[in-house]
Amino acid sequence: MNTTWGSPNGAGPAENLAPAALVLARRFAAGATLWCVAPQGPAHARHVAVEFVHPVIVGKRALPAVSIDEPGAAESVRLLSRPGDLLLCIGTANDPVLRDLVTRADAWGLTSLWLGTGPRPGRAGRDTGADHVVWLDGVEPARAARSGDLVLLYHLLWELTHIVFEHPGLLTQEAECADEVCVTCSDEGRVAEVLAVLAEGRVEVVAGGRAEQIDGRLIDDLRPGDLVLVHAGIAITNLLAEGGS
Amino acid sequence: MSAGEPTGFLYPFIEAEEQDVGALMTELVMSAQAKMQESASLRAATLERCGDQLERAAVGMAERFARGGRLFSFGNGGSATDAQGTAELFRHPPHGTPLPALSLVDDQAVLTALSNDVGFELVFSRQLIAHASEFDMAIGFSTSGDSVDMLRAFEEAARRGALTVGLCGYEGSGMAVSDAIHHCLVVRSDSVHRIQEVQDALTLALWESVQRHLPTPVAARGWRVPS
Repeated sequence: MNTTWGSPNGAGPAENLAPAALVLARRFAAGATLWCVAPQGPAHARHVAVEFVHPVIVGKRALPAVSIDEPGAAESVRLLSRPGDLLLCIGTANDPVLRDLVTRADAWGLTSLWLGTGPRPGRAGRDTGADHVVWLDGVEPARAARSGDLVLLYHLLWELTHIVFEHPGLLTQEAECADEVCVTCSDEGRVAEVLAVLAEGRVEVVAGGRAEQIDGRLIDDLRPGDLVLVHAGIAITNLLAEGGS
Repeated sequence: MSAGEPTGFLYPFIEAEEQDVGALMTELVMSAQAKMQESASLRAATLERCGDQLERAAVGMAERFARGGRLFSFGNGGSATDAQGTAELFRHPPHGTPLPALSLVDDQAVLTALSNDVGFELVFSRQLIAHASEFDMAIGFSTSGDSVDMLRAFEEAARRGALTVGLCGYEGSGMAVSDAIHHCLVVRSDSVHRIQEVQDALTLALWESVQRHLPTPVAARGWRVPS
């Protein structure tokens, strides 16, 4: 086994799993559902779902997790999820379905987590990737998917989430948005998904899980499903047109 | 527990913990690291201990694949996803020769029809009655090694002359002592999670060994009528 658990300069999976598990437990405690998508290996998404719904350790609480493995995964997650829910992506950084999903997840008000193999994506951030990234370095993706390495990552995610549940006092603390200068909630280039194009340049979008009307006159040909960057109530960039996503 | 309660002095740590996310983070990181280490050690030890047995199973499987045999995989819950992953690995390998493998957990119509009409214990054995012949192979995954539907499936597969390979987690379980399982690979652990991780590694090693033992060229022979 040549598995490398993390790079010499960066944090390894254990360091990245810990804050992810805290967020998962807090969101679950608040009523969230975990939506799991693994286009390159749907069996992994199903395994995660059964892990949370039907815990192998007697006495651990059943938590709502669902595997979505149909071709139109984004459409299904959009319909089924609610703001505050969790999105778990499993796959390589170049997976187009997952890349699209994490960007939209932001607009839908979901907290996203990416368990990945192969070359790393950009650092976790609101525009470049998922809110939490746990990466398995040093193993070829096809090998990691069957060697026990990938399954270990989500087993650990489950185990750590249940450790957090043993600390009920820490489950109810306010999440990241308590600060007045919270970057995620500030109006500097929020990602929004277009719901409908209205009259006189007005566009209805969903951003951070809330529907709102913005000014869409700066961008031509906006359509429902487009992803835009919103600043001060104005759509300033069409992320799909930029080839962004 | 509040500080005002008379028994509070007995548990001074509880209140401290409830406020201290940093301490919890440290606990989580250490727990994850310990489990990663445990998983890696168990994987290495099991691959070492089961190496010869795994090789024998692979030789037998390669022979059957070369003669046109097919592999049927099954398991319950998380192990069902291992069965799916195994069929996927053999049929659509990242490299090497694609081989005919079918997961018996995939078809909801078949699974619910059998569970409803004849009972869950027969959910895999009935499918093997329909599909398996003396040229074929059956591989089943269970962490407990005692699931009745699994044991029935192995008995049916063996009765039909198929080569049977079992992966289970507990020494002395029903699977570990079953005469119907020709090659039983046992992971010595009592953690369902660690067992599954090691079973994945065993399956990958088994697949690699089957690929090595295939006579060349076998690539175009998967479709052949068994002979």
